Amino acid sequence: MSSTRFGRSWSQGVALGLLFGILGPGFVHAGDDDATSASPPRNSSASRKLPEIDRLLREAWKKAELQPSPPAGDDEFLRRAYLDTLGRIPTLAETQAFFAGRDADKRAKLIDYLLEHPDYAKNQATLWRVALIGRQNQERRVEPKMLIDWLRKQFAANRPWNELAYDLITAEGSNKENGAVNYTMAHLENGAVNLTAYTTRIFLGRQIQCTQCHDHPSNDWKQADFWGINAFFKGVRRREVRKEDSTNGNDYDHTEVFDEPTDAFSEYERRDARMGIMFPTFLDGRKVGQGRDVERRKALARFITEPTNTAFAEAFVNRTWGHYFGRGIVNPIDDFGDHNEPSVPEVLDLLAKEFKESGFDVRLLTRRIMNSEAYQLTSRATKSNEKDESLFTHMTLKPMSPEQLFESLLVATSAHESGTGDRDNIEQRRDAWFRQFQTAFANDEGEETTSFQGTIPQALMMMNGPLMAEAVGGRPGSFLAELLERARLQRGAPVDAYVVQNLYLAALSRPPSKKEMTNARAFLAGNPDTIQVMEDLFWALLNSNEFILNR
Amino acid sequence: MSDHSIVPYGMSRRHFLGHLATGAMALPAAQFVGALEANAQQLRKQNKSCILLWMSGGPSHMDTWDLKPDSERNGGPFKPIRTSADGVMISEHLPNVAKQMHHLSIIRSLNSKEGNHDRGTYMMHTGYAPNPTVVHPSWGSICSFELGERLENFDLPHCISINTPGMGAGFLGMQHSPFMVQNPNAPIANLRPPQGVDDYRMRRRTQMLSLVENNFTAQGRGQATKDHSAVYAKTLRMMNSRYTSAFKLDTEKPSVRDAYGRGSFGSGCLMARKLVEQGVTFVEVALGGWDTHNDAFNTLSSRLLPELDKAMGALVADLASRGLLDNTLVVWMGEFGRTPRINQNGGRDHWPNSWSVVMGGAGVKGGTTFGATDKDGVDIVDQPVGVMDVIGTMTKAMGIDVETQYTTPRGRPMKVVDGGKPIAQLFA
Repeated sequence: MSSTRFGRSWSQGVALGLLFGILGPGFVHAGDDDATSASPPRNSSASRKLPEIDRLLREAWKKAELQPSPPAGDDEFLRRAYLDTLGRIPTLAETQAFFAGRDADKRAKLIDYLLEHPDYAKNQATLWRVALIGRQNQERRVEPKMLIDWLRKQFAANRPWNELAYDLITAEGSNKENGAVNYTMAHLENGAVNLTAYTTRIFLGRQIQCTQCHDHPSNDWKQADFWGINAFFKGVRRREVRKEDSTNGNDYDHTEVFDEPTDAFSEYERRDARMGIMFPTFLDGRKVGQGRDVERRKALARFITEPTNTAFAEAFVNRTWGHYFGRGIVNPIDDFGDHNEPSVPEVLDLLAKEFKESGFDVRLLTRRIMNSEAYQLTSRATKSNEKDESLFTHMTLKPMSPEQLFESLLVATSAHESGTGDRDNIEQRRDAWFRQFQTAFANDEGEETTSFQGTIPQALMMMNGPLMAEAVGGRPGSFLAELLERARLQRGAPVDAYVVQNLYLAALSRPPSKKEMTNARAFLAGNPDTIQVMEDLFWALLNSNEFILNR
Repeated sequence: MSDHSIVPYGMSRRHFLGHLATGAMALPAAQFVGALEANAQQLRKQNKSCILLWMSGGPSHMDTWDLKPDSERNGGPFKPIRTSADGVMISEHLPNVAKQMHHLSIIRSLNSKEGNHDRGTYMMHTGYAPNPTVVHPSWGSICSFELGERLENFDLPHCISINTPGMGAGFLGMQHSPFMVQNPNAPIANLRPPQGVDDYRMRRRTQMLSLVENNFTAQGRGQATKDHSAVYAKTLRMMNSRYTSAFKLDTEKPSVRDAYGRGSFGSGCLMARKLVEQGVTFVEVALGGWDTHNDAFNTLSSRLLPELDKAMGALVADLASRGLLDNTLVVWMGEFGRTPRINQNGGRDHWPNSWSVVMGGAGVKGGTTFGATDKDGVDIVDQPVGVMDVIGTMTKAMGIDVETQYTTPRGRPMKVVDGGKPIAQLFA
């Protein structure tokens, strides 16, 4: 029975060409099986000097005898730029506005707009919270929300990365007043072994943690290097502070992190079973005095962030590149070293140099990366480059993080517009959502990955869970009900075509292909309950690989 | 199974298999069942399964499997009792398990080295100490990867954890990570479409989904598109499967439910039996609360040991009577043992140096003990074993090659059994 309904749809001749003619410039359509819109507005290189990143990458491609994929269409670029920069898909209105734009520089303008958007800082804060303390840090008394608030302020103000890093490494005081303190707090246990590992990994891109127990097998890092850094944290202490008017012992208020003057050294067991000791020593061998007057964390923060330390700039550049490309120039993003060469060292050098010279301007760096030719290539591989994984000849699909998925579902269903009264409700639902995801997310530290990490419980949640049911529900006042109302009021297109067009735009940030339009309209035409069919179509779009994979 | 039964809407079978199995879900569930039933029946005979009884918190060997009634300092109040195995004595609070000891063996000489909950849990699930450069796949995931994958068209997840998230699959991929059953006494969350979405609409939904999904996959954007389809196909297959009845306990006789106990552990063990019966490769069932630093003996005798005893006794008896024990490995362990010394709060603390693990079934000998601790339960005095020896023994019992080796994403080799070997004396 379904097959007949389905079969009939093929013969239903709908003049789609006419339809899109009527709909005007807000609607884009191209191609039959895929709706990637054409006409990328990049200027031809003839009139302008090729930016240095692009020149270096083209050289690398040429040397490897690879052809890059074509530029991404507007829809692909738009969705990618929003997800990478704001942590969510564009709204229907944002999508339509961008498509309607005829400006030759509209991509560059969009990038500028996104980097000034409030959601940019929010997204940066979310990303860095995951990097700094993980998604589900269980350490007692850590306040992820305070860390997020702190991070958001820093990124909103575009504070230079060296200053931000210095503050994180040296943070002291109340973890409710100074959100940065929560980073240190989260990793203090066990003789600050984790703090040592995190600090070198995040700020220097060096995985020296394996040297905790033995010398590095494939480069010249020694066990002593790890413990030399560890010794910088020897004086760090935490204490729990009660409320001022506390009358009993349980009135916890906040935790304070502070530095106790110390002349202690780190002790460790060497492979030959003898004990080793290390006083504070930076990776390049520089030491600080052993006296109690030395402020060790500040000394470490200075070593790490000083402009002569190339590793500091490179680590940030590579992490940012990795976020936007799904893969670092050094990959994994925080595993620099002789054992792991960068794939295009020239680009890394260039960006690190610029980053340093700009005074560690995070927005400027991000703008450079997003405006590069490589970032704006399509994720469709070609015969020539489908084997390439490291030279950025085509964009890599990036599965949405749980955070991106949640925010994007809100956007697709216009739940974010439901007024401030619902804010608490959204917070609660977000928490519930993440709790469900947590049990299934093995990858707590949020190493961004390009493989799809979904599990059966997640798929069940997406298909049958209450959030999805609500998101695609067509009750009065919902996104679907209002869309149908708009469809009936407008005069530009048949109701069903208008509906299908908008559902595709809302969920996938692209119009349906001709074939998809025909199929969807057939479903609608064959059923008197329009809202139900809309619910089912929207469900299918939101559950698809195309929705959850950032193209 | 005949081709036509799974070919939806004029797609060729090859097309269907090559692209996306979600199309298959557009079919009424009934059409699957006949073929799959035969399939599962047959595979069940060939395939080995494992049920891991996980005692989260760290159980004491001194109060369970290795009692030292003559130790003045450490003995504690519990008395040993005879079991169905000649010469093997266990705690008086495990009378039902005692009747099954001819099926089980006790390893009394494990030194696992890790005395921290997280690290011990990681170690006992993977065989390895945590290492920031690689997330080791859990041993259960390895079973899923090595054995479960052989079951084509299998409806249920290969690796299931009850009452616990279990331990992930690391680089073996999310499809081998445990499917978690949060509460065996409640329906599986989200297993059914929400109210108002009937079979007809679900069919329409999946039909619409496969159009979008296949279109995107065909665009050559990489493996992730197909991985997504695979997870959805597996999920839809499970939703439509009548084998999900293994997750439902209400069809079991009240007497059976009572024998296992109706708490989350008893129900979990019963569910585990039903799942391995359907061919699931690895099921972990957790019983929490063993971290008994204070007032241990009350907690043990009034709650933990009776709950364990009922469920474990019933499970082993049930597996044996159904002929499932020949192919089902049952393992009892926690993340470490507890100090032989009783602390000032009447409890025992963390102790990885000398403790016990129990196993049986799948060719592992029953009715014996291996290794021994001294008269105070402190030092290992006979045949010490490490975690990798235990993992090696389990690996051999499952019929997985103990030389199996993987290459981690960073290009390093990882052996399933590294630096240990199966305990030969535990195999007949």
